[in-house]
Amino acid sequence: MKSNRLTRNPIAMTGLAIIGLYLLVILVSTFWLPFDPVEMDIDHLLEGPSLATGHLFGTDEFGRDILSRIMKGTSISLIISIAATALGAVIGTTMGTWAGYLGGRWDHWLMRVADVMFSFPSLLLAIFVMAILGEKTYNVIIAIGIVYIPQFARISRGAILTIKSSEFIKAARSNGASSTFILRKHLLPNILVPLIVQVSLSLSVAILLESSLSFLGLGVQPPAPSWGNMLSSARKVMVLAPWTAIYPGLAIVFLVLGFNLLGDGLRDILDPRLRNVR
Amino acid sequence: MSEESILRVEGLVTQFSTDRGLVKAVDGISFDLHRGETLGIVGESGSGKSVTNLSILRLVQSPPGNIAAGKVLFQGQDLLQASEEEVRLLRGKNISMIFQDPLTSLNPVLKVSMQIAEAIQLHHGLGRKPAKAKAVEMMKLIGIPDAERRADDYPHQFSGGMRQRIMIAMALSCNPDILIADEPTTALDVTIQAQILELIKSLSAKDKTAVILITHDLGVVAGMCDTVCVMYAGRIVERAPVDELFYDPKHPYTRGLLDSIPSVDLSGPDRLYSIPGAPPNLIDLPDACPFAPRCSRVMEVCTKATPPETVLDTATSRSVRCWLHTKENQNA
Repeated sequence: MKSNRLTRNPIAMTGLAIIGLYLLVILVSTFWLPFDPVEMDIDHLLEGPSLATGHLFGTDEFGRDILSRIMKGTSISLIISIAATALGAVIGTTMGTWAGYLGGRWDHWLMRVADVMFSFPSLLLAIFVMAILGEKTYNVIIAIGIVYIPQFARISRGAILTIKSSEFIKAARSNGASSTFILRKHLLPNILVPLIVQVSLSLSVAILLESSLSFLGLGVQPPAPSWGNMLSSARKVMVLAPWTAIYPGLAIVFLVLGFNLLGDGLRDILDPRLRNVR
Repeated sequence: MSEESILRVEGLVTQFSTDRGLVKAVDGISFDLHRGETLGIVGESGSGKSVTNLSILRLVQSPPGNIAAGKVLFQGQDLLQASEEEVRLLRGKNISMIFQDPLTSLNPVLKVSMQIAEAIQLHHGLGRKPAKAKAVEMMKLIGIPDAERRADDYPHQFSGGMRQRIMIAMALSCNPDILIADEPTTALDVTIQAQILELIKSLSAKDKTAVILITHDLGVVAGMCDTVCVMYAGRIVERAPVDELFYDPKHPYTRGLLDSIPSVDLSGPDRLYSIPGAPPNLIDLPDACPFAPRCSRVMEVCTKATPPETVLDTATSRSVRCWLHTKENQNA
């Protein structure tokens, strides 16, 4: 049933196809890259895309192959995006579900903390966290994860609040279920739908955040390739060699598009209120 | 009824604090429940029937609810003094509940077999497979056709009556000593009601399970119960064996309830009888009989003091809480 609805949904399938393409790139890049992504080549500085030289996407100001750097950057970007979303989702959902279920003072303070974090634009908050933690690749994961915690906390809390007073929760308690059991077995499956959609949309924003941080020099540090720092270094030579900016930019655009399409598609499939609208 | 009681409630008081004051939803309730007995609790909406039973299992939401006084002795252990964990282990295993609305009392995203197996898993630590086998067995017992296949269905794939059967299976899966059924048939149509009641009756008779049946349907009481407690404004106003209650109601309120039953007999009056007035506001009840403003036989004393409980027959523990039947008035 569910898989049918997924395959019949063109939006979600397009998103999945795009993401699949990127996963394929990662798979290939672990075994083979056209060039070494960090090796400089003084003889081929800022060369345009050409089949003859083998630099399909051209080279940057140090003569490094852009295609290889994009391929290498794919795995870095995706790993950061997935790990950060997982971090934010797990901690945020745990906080939100407990806050919603227990209510009272716990709820009050957790949600006020979330409100404070919400009052900062996500990029600003991520920059702030990076400034504290220091500029290391895995710190980007923590920074983006922290940005996501209040978002997931709020969504899961809201969902819990609407169902925690249900009769079936009372019935489970009268059956001798503990709070942990009720959260795990009864509440969590009921709030999975909004969470899945949020995860998918968060993945795309995480790509953007990671690129932005790297662009600002706070994220993945050169010479390690990342789409963000490639764009950053392309800034200076963009007029002379537009390919240095265009291809990493396109890589970002398409992956973000893929996650967004998947998220929208999943929401259409999973949200019963939107079902049968068309 | 000389058998020792399995559940004894003594002077139970449950209050809710609201913005407008303290609501005494249950105000000093006492009763005994014996093994294999079916006790009916009847009363209007808001008379404290459900809160009494939620208090027994300590399921009253707190705050705003608060069990202020009393004892709930289950096999000699006071549940109101026990730790949360001790009570939790009794729920579902020794005392279990069936709720009013089977449509909302089942988790929509879990398979029914998992929900039936839940209590078994919680209390007997059985693994997934044997618990599910037991769940299928319970489904057969309660008369769900094709139980093996339907075990993997979700609640929305069952009709209302079937869902209430599943609730019963959940409640009885651990062979509890006491089954509390909170208006188990209110949401069902009449033919299904009879089936569900028959099912509860036969299953409880088989294992000598004591049943507390909360209802506002006196017909259900007549068919199911051994003893009846009539509740009004958080108090038990009359307690009697079921036959005596119907043939010789003592309290004017009980009489009013019985007179309000529509009769199939067409010779009766055109208009259905109803007790005038509405149940009192439970905030700051005055020291008087709470039924006095609606009572047809109201006396001066009724508005001056709360009537004490008068035991009419110690053998059947028949009692009534009314000035008409106090010792002084009986002798007069």
